Amino acid sequence: MKLLVDVGESLRIAVGAVTANKARGALTTLGIIIGIVAVTMTLAASNGMQQSFRQAAGSIGADVIYVSRMPWVTINDFFTFRNRPNISLYEAEKMVEAFTGAAIVNPTIFGRQPLKYRSEVLQDVAIVGTSEKMPLISGQVPEDGRFLMPFDVRFKKNVAIIGKDIAENLFPAADPLNKTINIGPYRYQVIGVMEKQGGNSFGGPNLDLQVFIPITSFVKSFGGRRNTNVNIAVKADSIAAMKNLEFEIIGEMRRIRKLRPAEDDNFSINKLDSLMGAFNSVFGAVLGIGLLVTSISLIVGGIGVMNIMFVSVTERTREIGIRKAIGARRRSILMQFLFESALICVLGGILGICLSILLTYVVNATGAFTASLSPGIMLSAVIVSALVGIVAGLVPAYKGAKFAPIDALRYE
Amino acid sequence: MDASSEKEVVLKLRNIVRTYEMGSELIHALCGVSLDICRNEYVAIMGPSGSGKSTLMNIIGCLDIPTSGDYSLAGEMVADKNESELADIRNRLIGFVFQTFNLLPRANILHNVELPLIYGGVPKAERRDLAEQALERVGLKDRLTHRPNELSGGQCQRVAIARALVLNPSIILADEPTGNLDSKTGNDIMGMLDDLHADGQTVILVTHEDDIAAHAKRVLRLRDGEIESDVTKDERSIPDAIAV
Repeated sequence: MKLLVDVGESLRIAVGAVTANKARGALTTLGIIIGIVAVTMTLAASNGMQQSFRQAAGSIGADVIYVSRMPWVTINDFFTFRNRPNISLYEAEKMVEAFTGAAIVNPTIFGRQPLKYRSEVLQDVAIVGTSEKMPLISGQVPEDGRFLMPFDVRFKKNVAIIGKDIAENLFPAADPLNKTINIGPYRYQVIGVMEKQGGNSFGGPNLDLQVFIPITSFVKSFGGRRNTNVNIAVKADSIAAMKNLEFEIIGEMRRIRKLRPAEDDNFSINKLDSLMGAFNSVFGAVLGIGLLVTSISLIVGGIGVMNIMFVSVTERTREIGIRKAIGARRRSILMQFLFESALICVLGGILGICLSILLTYVVNATGAFTASLSPGIMLSAVIVSALVGIVAGLVPAYKGAKFAPIDALRYE
Repeated sequence: MDASSEKEVVLKLRNIVRTYEMGSELIHALCGVSLDICRNEYVAIMGPSGSGKSTLMNIIGCLDIPTSGDYSLAGEMVADKNESELADIRNRLIGFVFQTFNLLPRANILHNVELPLIYGGVPKAERRDLAEQALERVGLKDRLTHRPNELSGGQCQRVAIARALVLNPSIILADEPTGNLDSKTGNDIMGMLDDLHADGQTVILVTHEDDIAAHAKRVLRLRDGEIESDVTKDERSIPDAIAV
């Protein structure tokens, strides 16, 4: 009961003290606001990056195994892989044959070429040579027109399906369907426009800035042994089936490449899993460093609060004496000042969150990158600011609580 | 022997010594003071500055603890208590009236008077009633929401008296209660203390003014840390009814 009454009185004193010194309180709070904004924005940015990475990675597909020359994630053993042969279109076709009826296999080649329609030119556009099976793997489908058909691939047709952003940039006014564009020096007919994919903000390619053409046409136009390095995507029936499928793929590739049992694989198996794992570990480290750096500003804010609390305790020495004379215990005085510093900090925390919400909108509106504030982040910001307040208030509050009543009463 | 010895002893000091260290020097503020004060006594402690009367007041008020000697207040041995227990004793058993009023400037009158009740753990609803009653007793019931700086010195001292008596303490300890007041207001305040005494309160005054001390029924004079004289006036003004 006494404790409860103490809490009420402490809260009342804290509010009174903070409102009595508005300018001082505001400046002290500003330090905490800055600290909280720094920390929450770090978290919001990382949260946003993680979300957009997941979104981007989603097009890779969790149930798809990719066979490529190189592993997606190499730490420092790049040189062990550099002498590997490219995966040829021939090998890819063998893989398609081998898994016919068992799994969907889609070969792709990536390249970069300038794109031109009349006077509009886009430099360095991602060109994807692929097969009609791509939508089955990535889930990307055209919004207008059609995707590739088997005969496009078989007969090396010069047809292209363009990404939404390309359509908007290259054909600001016209309907792109059936228009002829130049991919590098070659003329291709636009037969489809892909749906908007979005989620391009982190790392990965902008999926709306791609052009899809038949893989055979790609090789015909831009091929040559050096430029032809095929990635083979194999879709499993389920996540559970992936392990077995992976063994089958390795076996099939080794058979196609005629590797002897003693030889290592000269190709790599890539999955979303391994990419996510690598991403998470790198991302965790970056986030950790970011938090470490931004929390310094919070600590500085906390030091500001501690400083002001020392002033507040000294200013109110006489008040402490009066309170003690009429029966306040050490605990009551301690609590009074802890509440005051916690209140300053929580106030700063809440204002900091408001500012962060505003900043998040601004950042997202500029489109530089995605930031996302979760309720969890906001709640922990409030808790952290309260903790900062309590820690910062501890030493000053203890100093005040320790005053001998006669000395405190005599203080002028 | 006389009437006072039959009454309950509320405050008992035995051989109280208080020394301070000032650098390497020991200062003997009190050198063996023994004293009994009974319920409903009206005592003035007098003495020139340096006589030890402030030290004695601090010890009686449990704001300071003696270097040696025994002190019991309303049956509680003060010397054995820790800080929290002393705070509790000050809260329950002692009502302070200070020369400089010592009100909280930012709190209104009602809150100032409620403060001992808050630290005493009195529930909120009861608190307000008790505080209003106490303020009514000192004639300030219509000023509940005023702050100390909106009141005259005499009114502030009345608030302090209300605060002192709100928890019905064993003793009211008034340290130069009229020191900051003009003589007319001072007389009002003394009249109020006289009334409290007439209502059965034990009142201890610390003062250096003879005409203030004249209000008390018993006058203690301190000199050099010892009791020089202890004079009880004749009992004419204490009606028998209160002695019961």
